[in-house]
Amino acid sequence: MTNSFQPELQATAKDLDEVKRLAEAGADALIIGHQDYGIRVAGDFTIDQIAEATTYLHEQNKRIYLLVNAIFHNEHIETLPSYLRELERLNVDGIVCGDPSIFQMIKDIDLSIPLTWNPETLSTNYQTLRFWHQRGLSRAILSNELALDAIKEIKQAVSFPIEIQVHGMTCIFQSKRKLVRNYYQHIDKAYDSDKPMFLKQEKKDETHYPVYEDVNGTHIMSNEDLAMVDYLDAILEAEIDGLKINGLLKSTDYNEKIVKIYREAVDTYLKDPASYQMKKTGWKQQIFAIQPEDRKLDTGFYFKEQIY
Amino acid sequence: MSETTRKQKPELLAPAGNLEKLKFAIHYGADAVYIGGKQFGLRSKAGNFSFEDMAEGVAFANKYGAKVYVAANIIAHNDNLEGAHQYFKKLYEIGIAAVIVADPALIQACREAAPDLEVHISTQASIANWKTVEFWKNEGIPRVVLAREVSLAEIKEMKEKVDIEIEAFIHGAMCISYSGRCVLSNHMTSRDANRGGCAQSCRWKYDLFEDGTDGAVSVTEESDELYTMSSQDLSMVEHLPDLLDLGVDSLKIEGRMKSIHYVATVVNVYRKIIDTYFDDPENYQLNPEWTDEIWKAAQRSLTTAFYYHEPTDKDQLYGKPDRIPKYDFAGLVLDYDENTQVATIQQRNSFGVGDEVEFFGPNFYHFKQTINEIWDENGEPLERAKHAMMITKVKVDQPLKYYDMMRKQK
Repeated sequence: MTNSFQPELQATAKDLDEVKRLAEAGADALIIGHQDYGIRVAGDFTIDQIAEATTYLHEQNKRIYLLVNAIFHNEHIETLPSYLRELERLNVDGIVCGDPSIFQMIKDIDLSIPLTWNPETLSTNYQTLRFWHQRGLSRAILSNELALDAIKEIKQAVSFPIEIQVHGMTCIFQSKRKLVRNYYQHIDKAYDSDKPMFLKQEKKDETHYPVYEDVNGTHIMSNEDLAMVDYLDAILEAEIDGLKINGLLKSTDYNEKIVKIYREAVDTYLKDPASYQMKKTGWKQQIFAIQPEDRKLDTGFYFKEQIY
Repeated sequence: MSETTRKQKPELLAPAGNLEKLKFAIHYGADAVYIGGKQFGLRSKAGNFSFEDMAEGVAFANKYGAKVYVAANIIAHNDNLEGAHQYFKKLYEIGIAAVIVADPALIQACREAAPDLEVHISTQASIANWKTVEFWKNEGIPRVVLAREVSLAEIKEMKEKVDIEIEAFIHGAMCISYSGRCVLSNHMTSRDANRGGCAQSCRWKYDLFEDGTDGAVSVTEESDELYTMSSQDLSMVEHLPDLLDLGVDSLKIEGRMKSIHYVATVVNVYRKIIDTYFDDPENYQLNPEWTDEIWKAAQRSLTTAFYYHEPTDKDQLYGKPDRIPKYDFAGLVLDYDENTQVATIQQRNSFGVGDEVEFFGPNFYHFKQTINEIWDENGEPLERAKHAMMITKVKVDQPLKYYDMMRKQK
């Protein structure tokens, strides 16, 4: 490992207060958006709020990425150019996108914002990422359903930065349909979209899949929260460039503590790997202590085999 | 519709899970079929074609002027890319007309190994706007299969803005998620949905809870049905002219796992609708017999999905399943002797004297009759044809042809 390697610790934020607190807690970059163009944003930011967050973060030499990762329909295409121009004018550090239309649009309007490619489940091999790199991506976020060995292989095979999620829930399903609302309609009950909801698999009482609706449809999230704090050595050894903490559906207090823990863990490893090994169980314990009772922790697919 | 705006007759594209289904799909009127090979496809449980079967399928299709496409629409991981070049080269040599691909790594492999093999972008890529269609057009892609979430109005705009072939689903089961954007199966069963292992977890039952300050409360009361997400199946049988007027280039029927009876019946109906409409668009009327016929192959209630409006609870599969009469494929007609009025029939499901059956064939030929006399191959009278694939002789009043089918209500 070269001494110059410095990963970017990224976190999502739901509002300006969270942007500031997570930056303060040690995040290098904040990820925000608006559900009109982004999917599974933690909260909606207006253009003015994006401007304020950008100024705030840039003053601290931190970066800001905008979620523009919806699966676009024709109506989006009408207004997207002016939205992108606004973001360019605000000098945000990047847009996170997952619809191929963005490559055409960037060319059409000659947009200068760097593009992080994140088509969620579709970012699974290095040839695919090379294809999109040739079309203009600057960075790529890998799918969550990949083993760490495959991630290392991808990292070695590509010339641009790659990012993975290290903490929080992951999306496992997106429908354009309003599936929760439809169900309430079916059982003839009033639906309150502000109430947190979750699904359990039939006869599997221990399961807990958060589910919610927004303008983009219905989203189902993973049964466990990813927590890689005690495996950061393997991730940093592989020089993965971006480490994302997804704070969706979590309180700012929780996210602030999580960012602090990961900040400390990353810095410790980079300075003194032996010390990281001594302390990693302690960090995991700190996370267990603040973890919501119904949210188990695990390592996702990083060490899991899949069949097909 | 005026002469000047009249559109080309579109392609009717049918699924074929194996060689026999391919032959029936084409004989019953499909202009093209799509199949899966042994690699890179999403239906690991479908029969799937060896290269030898593909070659025979292409030869059969050629006699009818039909095309054979191969779905290679997995979302590949690093390890899955090995062999892709040889695979596409082989498909091209066999005479496959196009491959249906979702992963750009496989597009690239196909381009490099078989530059003249057409690439169509799969519905797994969830193409839902005209700018993405334009992107693929500029990549040299001749055809895109649209996401099942687009409306007719959106398709219209795509056709107006981009000169490219558009393929859209007209019939069959649908993912309830954006296709390719669901990993329920991966998370609940460790089976990778995007590499052919989908366990259809979206069709399972779930308990829905509201989480409040007093803890979690089940939304579902005892008398209620558990939370479920399945959609009714898509069918445009009553609305096909709306798609034909848009100039959609290929009309796709879902179902590589479906039976021969399903494929033949559904293809037969849509063939009839397309031909009837194009013969005389001004005087086109939906014939209720076509809808009746579709219901004989239906497995679920039917919906127009996103084509006219966003689906609501009425488009989902809630409550007790609708009572849909189910039909068996009872026999395949091999021959008919007009002088004796005796048909040679290969048994596909048990049938016997006294059964009311329906015979049908291409071009919407069909009639009902009660079976009065059956003989075995040696001319010995039979009460029932019980053995799978046995050859029988059956007295049938009206003429039949090879490939005509006999169905019986279950």
